[in-house]
Amino acid sequence: MATNIIVAGVGGQGSILASHIIAEAAIRTGVRRQQPVRVRVGETFGAAMRGGAVASHVRIGPDVYGPLVAEDEADLIIAMEPLEGLRLGARYLSPRGIAVLNERPLPPTDVKIGACRYPSTAEIGEALRGLGEAVYFLPGEELAVQAGHVRTLSVVMIGAAFGTGRLPISQEDLEDTIRARVPPKTVEVNLRAFRLGMEAMASRLERAW
Amino acid sequence: MQEILMDRPGHRVLLMGNEAIARGALEAGLDLMAAYPGTPSSEIGEVLARVGKEAGLYVEWSINEKVAFDVAVGASLVGARSLVAMKNAGLNVAMDTFMTVPYGGVKGGLLVVVADDPDAHYSSSEQDTRPAAVYAEIPCFEPADQQEAKDMTVAALALSEQLELPVFLRSVSRISHASGDVTLGELPKRAERKLGFNKHWKLPYRWNVYGPPGAVSKHRWLHEHLDMAREYAERCPFNRLTLDPGAELGIIASGVAASYVREALAYLGVRANLLILGLVHPLPDRLVTELLRASRRVLVVEEGDPAVETQIRCLAQEVAPGLPIYGKYRRNAVLLPYGELNPARVRDAVVRVADVAPPKAAGAEDGRSAAKARAAALVVPRSSSLCAGCSHLGSYWALRQALQRRNGVHIVNGDIGCYEQGGYGIFSRQIEAGPEDSRRWPVQSPYEILDTNYVMGGGIGLAQGQAQVGYKGGKVVAVAGDSTFAHATLPAVLNAAYHRADITFLVLANNWTAMTGHQPNPTTGVTAMGDQAPVFDIEQAARALGITDVHTASAYDLEAARQAIEKALDHEGPSVVILTGECQLQVQRRTPVKDPKTRVDRERCNGCRMCVQLGCPAVTFDAGVKKAGIDTTLCVDCGLCVQVCPRKAIGTGGNG
Repeated sequence: MATNIIVAGVGGQGSILASHIIAEAAIRTGVRRQQPVRVRVGETFGAAMRGGAVASHVRIGPDVYGPLVAEDEADLIIAMEPLEGLRLGARYLSPRGIAVLNERPLPPTDVKIGACRYPSTAEIGEALRGLGEAVYFLPGEELAVQAGHVRTLSVVMIGAAFGTGRLPISQEDLEDTIRARVPPKTVEVNLRAFRLGMEAMASRLERAW
Repeated sequence: MQEILMDRPGHRVLLMGNEAIARGALEAGLDLMAAYPGTPSSEIGEVLARVGKEAGLYVEWSINEKVAFDVAVGASLVGARSLVAMKNAGLNVAMDTFMTVPYGGVKGGLLVVVADDPDAHYSSSEQDTRPAAVYAEIPCFEPADQQEAKDMTVAALALSEQLELPVFLRSVSRISHASGDVTLGELPKRAERKLGFNKHWKLPYRWNVYGPPGAVSKHRWLHEHLDMAREYAERCPFNRLTLDPGAELGIIASGVAASYVREALAYLGVRANLLILGLVHPLPDRLVTELLRASRRVLVVEEGDPAVETQIRCLAQEVAPGLPIYGKYRRNAVLLPYGELNPARVRDAVVRVADVAPPKAAGAEDGRSAAKARAAALVVPRSSSLCAGCSHLGSYWALRQALQRRNGVHIVNGDIGCYEQGGYGIFSRQIEAGPEDSRRWPVQSPYEILDTNYVMGGGIGLAQGQAQVGYKGGKVVAVAGDSTFAHATLPAVLNAAYHRADITFLVLANNWTAMTGHQPNPTTGVTAMGDQAPVFDIEQAARALGITDVHTASAYDLEAARQAIEKALDHEGPSVVILTGECQLQVQRRTPVKDPKTRVDRERCNGCRMCVQLGCPAVTFDAGVKKAGIDTTLCVDCGLCVQVCPRKAIGTGGNG
């Protein structure tokens, strides 16, 4: 049994930090519940430069060894950017999986120079709904600004991930990890961001019912 | 206290593979670490440099891997524990010392960590370096996960001291850049290590391969010590054999492949005899023999080349002739000899060799493959780009302008660094290769400007060959960064100067080794451990090496940069042009532009797209209304697009 999560985004959006917070919190929960939980984060992050596609595979469970999620087996896809959500979702989203996408596009150079077309939100939503159980779009930046700073986007999305109910992690452990991982002066802003993301996701789920 | 120095044995933390190796080195009481940064290995040095002073060890970013290797060997010869780390390509640079030091070996533990990059995520090749350990005749570890990466680092340094041989630890991107839960071990109580030197330690002229009785006797000594490593392999705790009396299938897996295999066996419910190898050279012959004789067919799974598989095949010829062995080798290949492993590929290989029916996959529902194809068709590439306001954008613009004013098929020889993106191309632009003149694909962005690119320091050598053999079809140019200038081009610059090669060499000087994460280099003025250092002057160095035509210009002054390049192109003989502009990410970290004022005047803009061709990610283009724009979340007001616009439609007045 493993929980397979993919965190997708564009360099500079904080998706690596988000994947590490989820993984660290999973260790905390495992240690506290005295469960034999193992954690892996597989990712590629190359140059220091900004703007490249970044994807982290987060795997949590007693029998987890490898760093990669198998195709069609992601229980949860968290995307800081819609095209990256589509890119990873098209390959990895499980038929029982959920995709949560921040709705603000960051068009790649290829689109900016007019070489190709960025798909619409409706197209992305429809394509992913055909592959997984549910797809949600959230106004991530708006929630981050509401929390106090646009750079808390990645923590908003962690809150949303927790709000799906698919993370085998307690809220307390996630919040403790956020406290330990973000700069001390930004703890309150980030905790607000976490809760706003969580509530936004919860209200989406209610409406879905 | 810094977290990596946490003295809590038994505590579980999340560590990246490279952090785990650094932690292992600290647990082993390392004294010295030398490296040249190279993805995916750089974080080992970064972590150790950060804690070096507190932990009492010396850490440096050496000029290149060869120098780093020599530095580490020197420390080891006076009894210190040392570590040298590099990426796959870096080992090629260090090869000379690497091949020779095993003749007579070392005193203090010497660990060579090489991070390979299957799938070439960050590299110019997929080169598997394990055969180099076989070639150099030294032991080679290969961790399956981050816990092993730490534990093997501790064990390897001890083994190196025990065998008096350098020991190799081969990582891969999926170990070094992946993270996992790691249980911490003890940190040693730090005491000043007693260093000493003995010219004739256990062997006459121990540290001098020429010293009597000479190199052949030292080679014999190496083989005797490699035999001791063979004995260690049989009891090495990282080699684990599990026999299943009901199984016909045997699997041998090493490194990260072992992790994929364990999951594949559980997923498929297949029974197998399993030998996990943590030490891939020398092999534990007795354990391997036991597995081969207990199995009817054997699958070897490893990341990279069939390096373990070929060793197994040699042994099997003696101890289990006729036994079918599957892996990556020729007609029995069930895995590809290129690209990297993943869960699907390993499951597929197990299914084929175990001869079981493949389970119904999660994605096998009716119509799913069509739905996946529809989703995939919507995905567009995200071609890599230089950062907003990067000085390389200015350098490449000026170079392009200078070359366009001259007829011919010019050759721009690239090199390795952020500016290598000048050869990445635009993925959404389909190029049809053919015998015709490549000028039918005009360069439309800085990402298409580099014509050749292989390795660090390669460009300036290639340029000399083109010029010296008499290529007259166009101008011959080479490009390298400041860190690369120091790393690998100094002898080549001297060569060009001495032989009067008619080339133009551009040095894109941004003061940092930026691509691997902003490590300092000799042009930065600071060391890995944060001490001040004298700044290396590239212009003086070029002149000292014999270049008389040397120009310096700011990459942010496009007119001055173009003129400097043109003078160099017109000069007969070798020229160097230094284009300056500190890495914009570093500038923004210190003094961020919070509210950029660069704007496009939509009335003046006629949609000519010149600014788009600058290649800055902050320049946008609305194809509907054919007008350019500025992404103010990325823009840093560098002023390059302002200079590029022929209609003077881009200004720095804000608003709009």
